[in-house]
Amino acid sequence: MVWTEKYRPRTLAEVIGNEEAKVELVRWVIEWEKGKRDYPGVLLVGPPGIGKTTSVHALANDLSYHVVELNASEYRTAEKIYERLGSLSRTYTLESYLGGGVQKRVLVFFDEIDGIDPKEDKGGLDAVINIAEKREYPVIAAANVPDKQKHKKLFELFKVIEFKELTPKHIVILLKRIVDRENLNIGLDTLLKIAERCRGDARLAINMLQAASVGVPIETIAQPLENLPFEELLRRLSSTSSYYEIKMLIDANSSLWEDVIYSYFDIISRSPVIKLESKISLLEELSMIDVYLGRMNKERKYFYMRYLSHILSWLIYKANREGALYDGRIPEYRLYKFVLNRKAADEFSELTSQLKGRINESIRKFTIHTIPVFCLVYKNNKTSELCKWVERVYGRGRVI
Amino acid sequence: MGGKGIWERKGDIMQYMKIRYGEPFSIPRRLGTELFKEVVRIKGVDYVKGKGFIVADYYALSSLNRILVKLGLILTPEVKCYLCNRPVDCDKCRFRNVCKKNTNYCICDQCLEKEDLADKYIEKQRMMLSSLINSLRR
Repeated sequence: MVWTEKYRPRTLAEVIGNEEAKVELVRWVIEWEKGKRDYPGVLLVGPPGIGKTTSVHALANDLSYHVVELNASEYRTAEKIYERLGSLSRTYTLESYLGGGVQKRVLVFFDEIDGIDPKEDKGGLDAVINIAEKREYPVIAAANVPDKQKHKKLFELFKVIEFKELTPKHIVILLKRIVDRENLNIGLDTLLKIAERCRGDARLAINMLQAASVGVPIETIAQPLENLPFEELLRRLSSTSSYYEIKMLIDANSSLWEDVIYSYFDIISRSPVIKLESKISLLEELSMIDVYLGRMNKERKYFYMRYLSHILSWLIYKANREGALYDGRIPEYRLYKFVLNRKAADEFSELTSQLKGRINESIRKFTIHTIPVFCLVYKNNKTSELCKWVERVYGRGRVI
Repeated sequence: MGGKGIWERKGDIMQYMKIRYGEPFSIPRRLGTELFKEVVRIKGVDYVKGKGFIVADYYALSSLNRILVKLGLILTPEVKCYLCNRPVDCDKCRFRNVCKKNTNYCICDQCLEKEDLADKYIEKQRMMLSSLINSLRR
């Protein structure tokens, strides 16, 4: 069992860190109970892994509430939200029946509410606000990176409570507790190292501790799985033969799935080791995943991610077993994404637009075929004739 | 650093003032219209009429200090140990380069080395939360 679940706090007192935010949350819920309902709801704001969701569940446990949780990845539209809450009375009765007939009050919790787009999601956000404004149940929403403009209404109406990253010392408390419970032979030094490296993310810290507990050296898990540079992600994906590791990498970098699919298309099709029949079968599967991913994004049905994550990880696992290996070559289409900042992007688009008249090839072809040559030439010989010509025509260092 | 230290910089007397994140305070200097506008434009710095300025985090505090230093004033966060209530000096902390220094409560080095640290922390929270719940429900 993963320790993030095993040691999930059951009471608010067990939630480490954000002491003031928790007090504010308790105060709001109790004042709500007493009828002081100035704000229709509460919006918990803060980065992932610092205890927002856990605090809500722990609080509900402390104050004897039954939490009805709606995650924005599943309940995005008004229709779905009302449908879920419409069945509230039935769920409530059934669950209270199963719970021994003890009637609990209901607390409605909208997790990851920043995932609801006010325009795209057919009144989803308005539905949340309407439900809160009826003031029938205490409504709590949580968001990682809410857009103050996009979710302006929510910020204006709801009481905003900010959850902050845990300090490394808070992380040490959290880890010490697990070390004691698991009776581990891990010293304070290791805990301090994890605390230094986890960037205030409790979930990440616990995962690192679990990895350290089975003998993984702390230095090798120092690099978190999330937000890896793309090339590093590809290298790690193709160099492992463990399905578990692939799945962890895929789950932690869901924003890069499209890139991973295209890159694996490149890796598989260029591989000199994989047999033709296997290549055909792998590429067919990959194309299906591509279709599924495109459809999921278009229809904004992100709850399918859980299935896609398995299918994609399984395909990568199979491709790796067949001999697929990332050779360090940057996939051609990625060159489009080389532009890292706004200034460079502007210069890049200016350069490519100028090229229309000078080189008899499309911008796409120029990006895919010509720029890699420029990169190589610049890298290997900065005084070559070609370099001089490039500098004369485009100016030194404008692209590379 | 910390405390009510006063030091000279380029001939000016600098004064330190401790503040707590999320809690209003008054700046003991006359800002003037231009500086006031500059201050409230900082992300994470708010002004509540009748109460004062509120700073949300360390990043905002650093930006604010860049303006206030011109007036001979430096604001420092007042961080206390959650367990023993002793002041915690962020500048001497081993985590000073990785910590975001955004909280009013931390743990002092002496408490961090205690064997039953987690139990003490949870017990303290339990006491505090239960007394809060009881007082609010009364």
